[in-house]
Amino acid sequence: MNCNKAMVLMSAAIDGELTPKEEEELALHLAECTACRAEFQDAKKTKIIIRERMVRVKAPRTLVESIVKLTTVTT
Amino acid sequence: MKEKKQILSAQEQLKQQEFQQEAVAHINSLYNYALHLTMNPDDAEDLVQETYLKAYKFFSSFERGTNCKAWLFKILKNNYINKFRKNAREPGKVDYDLIKDFYHTIKDVQSDTTEAESDFFHSLLHEEVYQALQSLPEEFREVIQLCDIEGFTYEEIANMVESPIGTVRSRLYRGRKLLREKLEDYARKHGYNTEAGE
Repeated sequence: MNCNKAMVLMSAAIDGELTPKEEEELALHLAECTACRAEFQDAKKTKIIIRERMVRVKAPRTLVESIVKLTTVTT
Repeated sequence: MKEKKQILSAQEQLKQQEFQQEAVAHINSLYNYALHLTMNPDDAEDLVQETYLKAYKFFSSFERGTNCKAWLFKILKNNYINKFRKNAREPGKVDYDLIKDFYHTIKDVQSDTTEAESDFFHSLLHEEVYQALQSLPEEFREVIQLCDIEGFTYEEIANMVESPIGTVRSRLYRGRKLLREKLEDYARKHGYNTEAGE
C-alpha cells in the first residue's frame, strides 16, 4: 500500500468504517511508515476538534411546543 | 361506524405517542442541522417545523427499527433543497456575521454540551472551528457535519446525500484534509499538537 491510499483509509479508520482487510492493510502500512503514523494522529485530532468545539444549541422552546402541538391529535 | 371512528382514534393516538418518542426526541439535532444549512434561525425553525409536519404525515412509511434520526434528516434535507435551492440561496456564501451574532447570543444560555461554562476553549474556539467548517465547499462540509457532529454511519450519510458510500468516504477524506489545513494554526495555538504515536 502506498501513502496516498493509506491516507484515504485513515479517514475511514477513525470512523470505524474500514473492512477487516483494509484495517489489516492500514495497520501494516502504519507499522512501517512514520509519516503516515503522524498523519493518522493529526486526522484523529481533527475529528476530536470538530466534535468538541462545535457548539450545539437547543431548539427554541416555542419551536418544540409548536411541533408537539402540531402532532397532537385532538380526540 | 361510530365504533370504527373510535378505533382509528386509538391508532392515531398510538401513532402520536410513538412519533413523539421516536421523532421529537431528535429536535435539537434537526434544529442544529437546519441552522447549518440555512444560516438563519427563522428559516431553520420553518424548516424543522415543515420537516416534522411531513414526517408525521408519512410516519407510517418509516421503517421501524431503522434510524429515525437519519430518516428525519433525509426529509429535512429534501425540504431544504426544495424550499431554498430553488430560490438560489447559497448558504455557503452567506456572511458569517449573520449567524455569528446568533451564536453569540445563545451559546451561554443554550449550550447543549456538558462542558463547563468556564471552559475557555469552549467559549472561544467554536467560532474558529465553525468558520473553518463553513468555509469548506458544501459537499465536504455536509459529510463532515453528518459524520463528526451527528454521528451517522457512512451508509446513512450515503442515503442522505444520495451518493455511493465510496463517494462519502472520499469526500470525508478530502474535506478533513482541507479543514485540517485551516485548523492547523489554531490547533498548535491551543495545544492539540501532541506528539504523534503517543
